[in-house]
Amino acid sequence: MTTDSPQGGAMTPPPAIAGSQPPAAIRCRGIVKEFGRGETLIRVLHGIDLDVRENEMTFIVGPSGCGKTTLISIIAGILSATAGAVDLFGTRVTSLKGSALVKFRRDNIGFIFQQFNLLPALSALENAAIPLIAQGASESVANAAARRFLIQLGLEKHLEKFPSQMSGGQQQRVAIARALVHEPRFIVCDEPTASLDAASGRAAIALLRDAAVRPGRAVIIVTHDSRIFDFADRMVAMSDGRIEKLSDAREIAAMEHH
Amino acid sequence: MNKVALKMLFGDPTKCLGLVFGVAFASLLIMQQSSIFVGIMSRTSSIIYDAQEVNIWVMDPSVQYVDANRPMRDTELSRIRGADGVAWAAPFFKANTGVRSRTGNLQTAQIIGVDEATYIGAPRRMVLGSIDNLRCPDAIMIDRTGYKLLFPDTPLELGAEFEINDRRAVVAAIVENSAAFTSNITIYTTYSRAVAYTNNGRTQLSFVVARARAGLSPESVARAIEERTGLKARSSDEFRWDTIKYILANTGIPISFGAVVTLGVIVGVVVAGLTFNMFVAENIKQFAALKAIGVTNMTILRMVLVQAGVVGFIGYSLGLGIVARFFDTVPKHATGLRGFYLPWQVAAGMAALTVVIMLIASSLSLRRVMTVDPAVVFRG
Ligand SMILES: Nc1ncnc2c1ncn2[C@@H]1O[C@H](COP(=O)(O)OP(=O)(O)OP(=O)(O)O)[C@@H](O)[C@H]1O
Ligand SMILES: [Mg+2]
Repeated sequence: MTTDSPQGGAMTPPPAIAGSQPPAAIRCRGIVKEFGRGETLIRVLHGIDLDVRENEMTFIVGPSGCGKTTLISIIAGILSATAGAVDLFGTRVTSLKGSALVKFRRDNIGFIFQQFNLLPALSALENAAIPLIAQGASESVANAAARRFLIQLGLEKHLEKFPSQMSGGQQQRVAIARALVHEPRFIVCDEPTASLDAASGRAAIALLRDAAVRPGRAVIIVTHDSRIFDFADRMVAMSDGRIEKLSDAREIAAMEHH
Repeated sequence: MNKVALKMLFGDPTKCLGLVFGVAFASLLIMQQSSIFVGIMSRTSSIIYDAQEVNIWVMDPSVQYVDANRPMRDTELSRIRGADGVAWAAPFFKANTGVRSRTGNLQTAQIIGVDEATYIGAPRRMVLGSIDNLRCPDAIMIDRTGYKLLFPDTPLELGAEFEINDRRAVVAAIVENSAAFTSNITIYTTYSRAVAYTNNGRTQLSFVVARARAGLSPESVARAIEERTGLKARSSDEFRWDTIKYILANTGIPISFGAVVTLGVIVGVVVAGLTFNMFVAENIKQFAALKAIGVTNMTILRMVLVQAGVVGFIGYSLGLGIVARFFDTVPKHATGLRGFYLPWQVAAGMAALTVVIMLIASSLSLRRVMTVDPAVVFRG
């Protein structure tokens, strides 16, 4: 699906911004997660401390089962932590409950999933408009915003198409538009390229980078896909429920060349 | 989000059809059977209904419903006439008998004998001829449906002859009546002729039909008759209900009817419930994604209820349309369903029942959607 992937400068990795230190947008302290109880209790996260900066793409990498998905689920407020605290732009997400938590997610978080999770009965435009509709925006306002993002993501010819009529790369771009349409402050992606071929995966991340990274917003991508590592500003390497290593773009570039 | 819910529903035409079919079938079955039930129940008392000018029925104390036959002594008539508040009273004879057409066609008929001077208790909606024709020898009136059964392929005409218990009878008038419960042919004639036809010399006063004086309630006059005569007297309304209650208590009709309605509800719940469950199960990841994105459980609940409501409405409307069409056409051609119709109470009751069916059918899947953990969106 390289044919309709817009190519351009976005494909080149970002330069490292030496010296400048944007403030932490996401602050995790002592996050512990245990599943089960008694005999079957397993501790998946062993006290994670992590700062994620705004205006950057932070990658979380690590072997399967090390707890990446668990960590971002807690950060995004769809899974509760056993212990520890998460602050998202000053809001303590780990203290929110019930509909307050749901509304916080609705207004502040954009989700991108491995399986896209688009509604099959809705067109690209309608899918991308959902977060705004859920916020109570009128259909015309929501559709206008959705259209703007879909066009920015190179889908102007596919606005009325249904997910089943689009390639994986196109569907993931619809999902990116859906994650961005309500201008959330935090974008979280779990394996966004795992269902895509190399070229469309890179194209999708390049577009995401262009559209999503900006001051006042943090982007976290959980991935196994070393083909897209060069898009990272910062990389968090996890192993067995702990953070092993933090690297910045320069170190990542060095790793690539190694 | 309601629009999204509808798009999700109609985006899956197979399941949508399955759901609509389930509801339509259930409401079709239930409304059709209920209407027939109502029809049968009103047939049991059609004689009471057809005797429009009568509002009090007097009978032997042991009689519980209109088809019971326990004659009174002829002398009771004058005692009843003497009771307070009685405007008039007339004898009424009723029996079942065999009739044979000229072609040898043997059938059972209900024969009703009315007062020779007033014809009180006989229907007055004439199709052909006049009730005064009963003055001619061997004259009887027959209902239109009975005529068709007795003289198939013959146009309606007066003067046709047949036999009642081997005695000659002549069609002197044809009337429109309400369909009866026990037989499809009803013959009306004078009281004495009816007694003679049934070949029975004993007293045959099945009922005395009467009317309360203007301004008096038939119930109170009925009580007065009971006090004076020791007989049983009922207003027409009371007697109709007595009859319906007796049939309900003493036949298998309510059980078989109840079984069909239960079956309809079960079919509706099972078909719609399973399909709905399948629909929700297939969309569970999408629902989880919606919840992660920030759609509240209240909104999800509303979405599922909108889907259930729309399916229920379409299915019910379809069922209603078919049943209405059925009762609009079939009873005109099928003697067994003559006079049957779809009472609005049945249609309204079914609308309420559809809501119940859809609530039960969606409750299972609703639970699933409400409890699905949004965290599953990040799991394979
Ligand atoms: N709901 C749960 N109940 C019990 N154990 C769980 C649950 N969810 C995750 N786990 C366990 O927690 C551990 C970490 O899982 P997680 O999905 O966070 O890993 P991951 O790093 O995302 O792996 P992958 O790269 O395969 O997606 C795994 O051992 C997993 O089996
Ligand atoms: Mg994972």
